[in-house]
Amino acid sequence: MTTTTIQWVALGLCAAGAAVRVPGARKGHGRTVFVALVLLTLAVGLSITPIYEAVDGLVGAVNIANLLLRLTLYTVFVLLGVRMAAAFGSSLARRLIVGPFGVAVLAVTVAATLYFFVASELPGSSTALRAFEDQDTVQQYAAVGRLYPGYVAGCLVVPAIASALDRGARTIHRVACALLAGGFSLVVVFVLLRLTALDLMAWDYILPFSAILLTVLGLCLIWLSHTLGRRRRTNANRLA
Amino acid sequence: MAVTAKAFQLWRSRIAPQDTLTDLCRIAGIKRSTLAQQLVRGKVSVPTVVAVARGYGEPPVGALARFEGFEDLQRGTTLPTDAELVSQVSHTDILRLLVARSEDRECTCTDVQLRLAPFPHRNSVRAWIEAIDPGDLRQQLALSTGVARQNLSAQLTAGRLAPEIAVQAARIAGVSLTSGLVVTGLLTQAEGGWPEDGRARALCALSDLDLVFLGRDRLDVLGKQLRRAELDDGKDRAMWENLG
Repeated sequence: MTTTTIQWVALGLCAAGAAVRVPGARKGHGRTVFVALVLLTLAVGLSITPIYEAVDGLVGAVNIANLLLRLTLYTVFVLLGVRMAAAFGSSLARRLIVGPFGVAVLAVTVAATLYFFVASELPGSSTALRAFEDQDTVQQYAAVGRLYPGYVAGCLVVPAIASALDRGARTIHRVACALLAGGFSLVVVFVLLRLTALDLMAWDYILPFSAILLTVLGLCLIWLSHTLGRRRRTNANRLA
Repeated sequence: MAVTAKAFQLWRSRIAPQDTLTDLCRIAGIKRSTLAQQLVRGKVSVPTVVAVARGYGEPPVGALARFEGFEDLQRGTTLPTDAELVSQVSHTDILRLLVARSEDRECTCTDVQLRLAPFPHRNSVRAWIEAIDPGDLRQQLALSTGVARQNLSAQLTAGRLAPEIAVQAARIAGVSLTSGLVVTGLLTQAEGGWPEDGRARALCALSDLDLVFLGRDRLDVLGKQLRRAELDDGKDRAMWENLG
């Protein structure tokens, strides 16, 4: 599989994951996750060259689209992070993501992202700013952009694994949690590897996009279980 | 879980020498595809053997005793103990009797007059295991059958027990070997040698004190189940409301 294939597959899956939630979202169910999936679709789209160049062309061809991609991604992580912490019943993860510390981390990240973006010389559209990689500020910009997702994913790995190991839970939820745990772990591994001097080559794409695939698949399973559960909700008499 | 297909074929050629497999399934009231699949796999399930035995008017216990692992079944069939009988009364029936006694209107002791619900009830299997447990039944059962304790617990929680394990449990506990097959619903009371009205008699024989403590224990079990169910419901709801 070439790196572009996995990107398109991820885009398709995100779009499909968002599409199946449209009816529910119109009725008011699961709007947060729906919005997160729409934004994730946008973020994945902006990491694919033809889409990126088209969008960036509309906003002046000075890579504003890349900034948009970063901020979208942060939003996705905040939204999903809060919801997942609640779903896993982990108040610690919730506090780490949207508590005072989490908000401070987010604020620093956004400020640093804006600063490094403004400080860089970015004439002409270039997907993932690859044409300007030799600039120090661009490298910092990219590093900051990875650290926040890594932080949120790191907060969620342990609760997700705990939920996957919960013997009392439904099998479909355990599988979904295992997929989510796999996705978060990949994000963490990716971020850690990028901190080293290793040249990741194709893994630079495979790791993050596999993480997206796993996460969205996990969300789709939970959506499926909810849809099926709503359909055959029986109030069995537990006293009998 | 089963008897070998070879032994099954041998047995069926003895009880129904003329009948085809299709006839056999029709008389036993089982699906032909089910039996065919079991024969292909080389293992025929115990419920199938029981259904065939019933269809041909053979006593199921005698039929099962012809298969490996169940040879001592017929010899080992005795009357169930009172504890076993009481374990098969549902908690609602126990509470009804308690109320009846408190109002001085307990009548004679037959299943019908006490309006005992038919068993197996929801917790039949676990209640039976607890009734016959000499102290380390689960451990001994795991050792002698090679089934992991976790797996045993899961079966009990689901209200199931594989026939071999049920018989082995009875062997270890020194009770009637058919009891486990009765409480799992595989055999009827009559087939398993359980006396009619046995439950009602055993229940009525309980003193007020024993009845109260029995009721308390059953409510305790029920309470734990409800708490667990609500906890699981809460987890499902958290998952659905947040990510569904």
